[in-house]
Amino acid sequence: MLAAVVIPAFDLRAALRPRPRLQSAPAALAPLPGKDQLVGSVTGAAEAKGVRPGMRLGEALAMCPELVLVEQDPATAEQAWEEILRRLEDAGFGVEPVEPGLCYFDAKGVERLYGGLEPALKRALAAVGTAWEPRVGAAERRFAALAAANVARPGQALIVSDDRARSFLAPLPLQLLPLERERYEELEELGVRTIGQLAGLPGNAVAERLGPAGRRAWSLARGEEHGRIAPRKPATAIHETLEFPEAVGNELTLRRGLGVLLDRLLARPERAGRPPRKLAVWARLVGGASWRRTVTLREPTTDPARLRAALGAKLLELPAPALKLRLEVGELAEYTGEQLELNGVDGHGGDGFSAEGEAGRARLREGLRQVRAAVGAGGVSTVVEVAPWSRIPEARALLVPRDD
Amino acid sequence: MVAHTRSARAARAARRLNQPRPALVEAHADGLPRRVNRQEVAVVREEWRVVDRWWTDEPVHRRYFDIVLETGEHTVVYHDDDTGWNGSGSWFTQRA
Repeated sequence: MLAAVVIPAFDLRAALRPRPRLQSAPAALAPLPGKDQLVGSVTGAAEAKGVRPGMRLGEALAMCPELVLVEQDPATAEQAWEEILRRLEDAGFGVEPVEPGLCYFDAKGVERLYGGLEPALKRALAAVGTAWEPRVGAAERRFAALAAANVARPGQALIVSDDRARSFLAPLPLQLLPLERERYEELEELGVRTIGQLAGLPGNAVAERLGPAGRRAWSLARGEEHGRIAPRKPATAIHETLEFPEAVGNELTLRRGLGVLLDRLLARPERAGRPPRKLAVWARLVGGASWRRTVTLREPTTDPARLRAALGAKLLELPAPALKLRLEVGELAEYTGEQLELNGVDGHGGDGFSAEGEAGRARLREGLRQVRAAVGAGGVSTVVEVAPWSRIPEARALLVPRDD
Repeated sequence: MVAHTRSARAARAARRLNQPRPALVEAHADGLPRRVNRQEVAVVREEWRVVDRWWTDEPVHRRYFDIVLETGEHTVVYHDDDTGWNGSGSWFTQRA
């Protein structure tokens, strides 16, 4: 059985954590500066007054004049989501996060640990925490699990067996399917309002009218999707923080601060020599908002100059002066060493062996002789560049056996 | 009888470096890879085309993708456009 954990309006709940009083008031996430003036997630009280997520700000305020606009705080939401994922992982669930507020796990491995599917799902709900009002849905297929979680009550675990999945999905609204808003409207104009109605249409007609996304939604509606869970590798908890005495917007100062954080981070013993593969820069901005950027390195490295170059460019995107700067390791490579090029072996290349001179070359020759003796002729080859300018990678060089 | 020279022997046994290897790729409708060798694609970092040797019997017409998988692994795959989108042998991995 696959399970989906859903926390509706997660971004708003995370932003309201320091102000729990607002959770029962009409409140909505404010639009980001410079973006479309549309409200984000809304509280139940706001929804009761007719405010809907994605509504134009002016319309929302006209509908509900007492609406409180809450500033978006993506970094806090991401941090809170990471804490939830870690609690689930600590409880033995291999989670596949999709977005903050939605993740999947395969319950098969943990059912026996907790004495059945239902106790395992209850354990997952407890791991998330009741304050978040999570819902869990379980089914043989991902979409059915997601749909079950979406219709479950807060704190409820809803299990849908495979034989009744289609009848369970049939009366549910189309909005649960991953389709663009225009597609829903198009379907509604055609009189198709439920998943069951869509599933009853001929597949070719749906594909012709709605394209590949519509065809996929049709397959989901018919319960034809299998889907596997790909649990993430638990993230590494290594981070360093720097608090500034006053807000800093100067690029040079920020870069220096980043350099200090980088040196501290690279010196952390938990790294155990492994180079970082993924890093994140986080900042608390003047006015309380937060900012976060993730960088995935082309090649994991511990070279401070390369790391500074990769991360420094992100600082230019800071929208406001920062009060606090944090550097986090998202993921470490699994290896500790790096195979460097053996330059200068044949006497006319670089100086990779110059430190050892002739003695080093003699050792290498002896090593190559032993390799040949062990694996036979053709065991040692030389790379010969034949067309290094070629746009076709395999045409650039040949591997030529070396018998001397 | 004339013995092979060393260079002739070497040339006979030489092989290409960095040959493409077949890959199992599931793609989106627009051709972007979604899963590579059963791993989800996290980011498509770069995309480029190589069109070459069109004047020969073996033209090269490839669409390369520089990608990072969900596991953090960095890899390059390409689609051989001459064999059609859904052909099982049309995707390859290669260090570019």
